[in-house]
Amino acid sequence: MLCYNCGCQLSEQDFCTSCGADVALYKKIIYASNRFYNDGLEKAKVRDLSGAINSLRQSLKLNKENIEARNLLGLVYFEMGEVVAALSEWVISKNLLPKKNIASNYIDMVQSSSGRLETINQTIKKYNQSYHYCLQGSKDLAIIQLKKVLSMNPRFLRAHQLLALLYMDTEQWDRAQKELKHCLEIDRNNTIALNYMKEVEQALSPDDSSKGGAKRSREDAVRYQTDNEVIIQPLTVKEPKRGGLSSLLNIVIGFVIGLAAMYFLVVPSIVTRERNDANQRVTEINGKLDDKTATVAQLEQQVADLEQEKEQLNQEIQGFVGDNGTLDTIDSFLKVVSSYLVTKDAVQAGKDLEAYAESVDIGQTSEALQDLYQTMFTAIGPELGNIYYEDGKNALNDNLFEDAIANLEKAFYYDASREDALYELGNAYRRNENKEEAIASYQKLLELFPDSKNAKRAQRYIDDLSEG
Amino acid sequence: MIDFEEELKKFHPSLEIEEAEDAIYNQDLTDLADLLVKMVKESQTQEEG
Repeated sequence: MLCYNCGCQLSEQDFCTSCGADVALYKKIIYASNRFYNDGLEKAKVRDLSGAINSLRQSLKLNKENIEARNLLGLVYFEMGEVVAALSEWVISKNLLPKKNIASNYIDMVQSSSGRLETINQTIKKYNQSYHYCLQGSKDLAIIQLKKVLSMNPRFLRAHQLLALLYMDTEQWDRAQKELKHCLEIDRNNTIALNYMKEVEQALSPDDSSKGGAKRSREDAVRYQTDNEVIIQPLTVKEPKRGGLSSLLNIVIGFVIGLAAMYFLVVPSIVTRERNDANQRVTEINGKLDDKTATVAQLEQQVADLEQEKEQLNQEIQGFVGDNGTLDTIDSFLKVVSSYLVTKDAVQAGKDLEAYAESVDIGQTSEALQDLYQTMFTAIGPELGNIYYEDGKNALNDNLFEDAIANLEKAFYYDASREDALYELGNAYRRNENKEEAIASYQKLLELFPDSKNAKRAQRYIDDLSEG
Repeated sequence: MIDFEEELKKFHPSLEIEEAEDAIYNQDLTDLADLLVKMVKESQTQEEG
């Protein structure tokens, strides 16, 4: 203990040995403060928090620098959920004794987690909001909000008290009792909680004579709690006795009702389920059928394509080996050539070639065959040209114009270098009075052989025929 | 029988953290020891005067 005047350590004397100041009364004040602190500590140990607060406040009124008392007061406030009050005490304590003060640890503990501090602040805000709900008469909202507050901070004593008061006001005595028990677990001698508890117990255990039969005695019922619901099961109520016949009748009725329920509830659900299963199976089968149908159609298409390909191949084969096929055509032409080489009969060979050219499209045959045909044609052409020219000339002289035209055409056909055959053909047409064909023949002569000896005469005939 | 309105008057809003600073500054920390020291000093002043 230090002297209030000079700050020196005081001795057992009633005066300061340093400055001589009278410290008797000062010492008594300090001792009284310490006694209140001890009293507060004892009460806090047995959870008489209200009593501890009173003692510690007394201690601090006597000596504000009683750090232990202030720190303990903060702890008690904190235990009752009054976090701001606790922080206030600890902050003052830390100001009075900055070093080696447990209050620093307490402040750090609260402030170390911003989330925790935020939760505490939210709790206080919600409590204040519910308090305002109470003032406005919105008790249901207040109850809901207080439940939230207590879920966040179950040791908030004032929230328990207010919630208990609200339950009492709405005559939810069991719930009020539960909240008050929580209060008394936190603060054993809390005056408000004890006062409310007395009221609640009176409501739950009313005197039978005063209340009559309105409320049932607690001893008449078995009470147990499930979650937040208190179940009260009366003991004295008995089921009225019934005769055996009525029981049997009830059983039969129950059985009938059961059957009816089965028929109307269970059977339709089973039928529906079976129907759904059947529909599902039908859908699956339809799906598979569609797949198979598509596969069959695809296979049929493949078969048709293969048939068409087969037909084409057969046609190609027939083109080679069938009648008038490539092989047959080659064979026929080889016979013509062979016959000519053996007989050297140009006229017969010419007839065979004409017959061959009528039966076969020379342009569609192979290149080698066309070359052979051309070679054959060139070999017999001049000789046949001479023969047909002579025949045609004789026929013209005999005025057999049709024969002359036929022979002269063949003469030019087999030997395209014979301009005389073309000139005589024009003459035959002219004398046969076929003016157009005559002019055409002369024109052809002028185109193919413009410098030949018959060209001028052909031109003259053309002029005469054109004028005539 | 407890009167709800009367009982409600015993409750009051709790201090929020934002209000803690004001609460600390406004707290009257004068104790009995302060009064004693003040009284002693005043008496000493009167004796000297």
